[in-house]
Amino acid sequence: MKTQVNPAIEEGGDALTRRRLLSWLSGFGLFGSLIVTVFSNLIFIKPRATYGQPNRFSIGKPEEFPSGARVSLDARRVCIVRDGDKIAAISTTCTHLGCIVSVSETGFSCPCHGSRYDQDGNVTGGPAPRALPWYQVSLAPNGEIEVDKDTEIEAGNYLRV
Amino acid sequence: MSNHTTTPPWKSLVALPENIWRSIFRNPLPSSDLGRASTSFTNFFLHLHPVKVHRHSLKAAYTLGLGLISFFLFFILVVTGILLMFYYVPSTTQAYDRMLDLRGTVAFGIFLRNMHRWSAHGMVAVVFLHMCRVFLTGSYKPPREFNWVLGVLLLLVTLFLSFTGYLLPWDQLAFWAITVGTSIASYAPLVGKQMKFILLGDSNVGQEALLRFYVLHVAVLPAILSLLVAIHFWRIRKDGGLSRPEEEDALPADAPAQLEVMQGPAVVMATSPVAAAAAEPVLQKRHYGIQGLVRGPFTKIGNVPDRSVFAWPNLFMAELVVFLITVAGVLLVSLFFNAPLEEPVNVMHPPNPAKAPWYFLGLQEQVSYSAFWGGVGIPATEVLLLLLVPYIDRKVAGVGRWFARERLLANFLFLTFVIVNVVLIIIGTFFRGPNWEFVSPW
Repeated sequence: MKTQVNPAIEEGGDALTRRRLLSWLSGFGLFGSLIVTVFSNLIFIKPRATYGQPNRFSIGKPEEFPSGARVSLDARRVCIVRDGDKIAAISTTCTHLGCIVSVSETGFSCPCHGSRYDQDGNVTGGPAPRALPWYQVSLAPNGEIEVDKDTEIEAGNYLRV
Repeated sequence: MSNHTTTPPWKSLVALPENIWRSIFRNPLPSSDLGRASTSFTNFFLHLHPVKVHRHSLKAAYTLGLGLISFFLFFILVVTGILLMFYYVPSTTQAYDRMLDLRGTVAFGIFLRNMHRWSAHGMVAVVFLHMCRVFLTGSYKPPREFNWVLGVLLLLVTLFLSFTGYLLPWDQLAFWAITVGTSIASYAPLVGKQMKFILLGDSNVGQEALLRFYVLHVAVLPAILSLLVAIHFWRIRKDGGLSRPEEEDALPADAPAQLEVMQGPAVVMATSPVAAAAAEPVLQKRHYGIQGLVRGPFTKIGNVPDRSVFAWPNLFMAELVVFLITVAGVLLVSLFFNAPLEEPVNVMHPPNPAKAPWYFLGLQEQVSYSAFWGGVGIPATEVLLLLLVPYIDRKVAGVGRWFARERLLANFLFLTFVIVNVVLIIIGTFFRGPNWEFVSPW
């Protein structure tokens, strides 16, 4: 069979022939599906659900934390601070490189790179770039204190119990 | 049929071993140049090499064999790594127990783990030294610029491979090194937090991170590394072999006068008219065919005297010796030193100080001054500068010699970079104690 060469293509003209239109459309379709496939892989590797610690949890009744207590819950990575009838939760994840800071006499100190924070989590020394965040604390209907690590609040905002 | 001599069937049986041997190995041990050449290119493993190699490339004092050692260490890592996979489970509840099993019950388990661990450390060090060799001999100059870039990428993949493997024993050392290491990544602007989350599969180092690092370590990164190594090797040949000083390419005094060394792409022929004119008349009846295009001033036409030798046996013996020495070295170290294994992971108590793997301790030391600049800004600049080295330094003088006078400034800058990083690593390793405070190791 003799192949018919379209004169428009042969001359390299810009005329939109049926063949050219179909080639473009199928080309877009094929390359598009390839790009979407690669892109979907990128979305795939970012997990939607995580299996680790939940970010919202209750830590027990206020009575469990006497006034003046600074209790570091290392597994939860928060420090519960109680001052009179005021209660707050300060992160114990070092803002420098994610180590767990320990409660010291002057506030917090990090074993990894020597960052130091004061009682309210403000940086007093070392390489930490910013203060330890405070998390929202609320009183659940069952009377337990609930900490929400997804919501950061301004330092100095205590919950009155 | 009367004049046709039939061979008795038992004769083919007698010849069976030889026939099988011949079908696998096409050439007997070569005794002529033709045999040496065909041995090289009729064997799958040998044909990756050139048939002839320049004498200068075989000088141990020039290359120190560092590229070969890197490759052989990678080979050892692949073999021991696959063996270790038979016993390893990437689970936070089982991984550490499997480490103890390797030590206690698995035959040669501890030995294989030692080999894997020390080869990994060795590979990081040797790949870095290889980079130093290439820089200090000016070997990244044209036409080898892109192979230098590949080499820098190979160094990065090597570091990442070593880093992902570091987590797998799931002991305190592993857990906190990775916690510190991935936090450094999160300081990258814009994508840092996302990158850390995707790398760990969670907000903290845990089961997801262990699984992800395992997949990266045993599948993704080795595949990338193998591909890059293949291109790296291929480019060595396409760029005209290892670098050497210009005078090494000068023709010996007795070379034919009409011979041209071509600039630019040259057609390489099976046999050239130049050589044929000087050779026996029988060669003149040959047909010439285009065999390929080769760039650069390395194209040589005809069988004229030069400073190259046959790869068989010169190059292959050298490679074999380097391989045997590398294996022997790893075996020896593995016999006397056990790979470290600390207590199982305790998420609540970071060791004090918590240190990254030694090759990242320079980074960690920098990070202790400034998180962004030490962990991201300076390292990214260093990598970028390394990648751009062959495009910044365009002078072609001083290639193929160690510490060439013409390259005084470049070598000085590079050595400054090396020494600063080594000093930072030494400080981070030996002079930092609890709370990252300065301590004296004595």
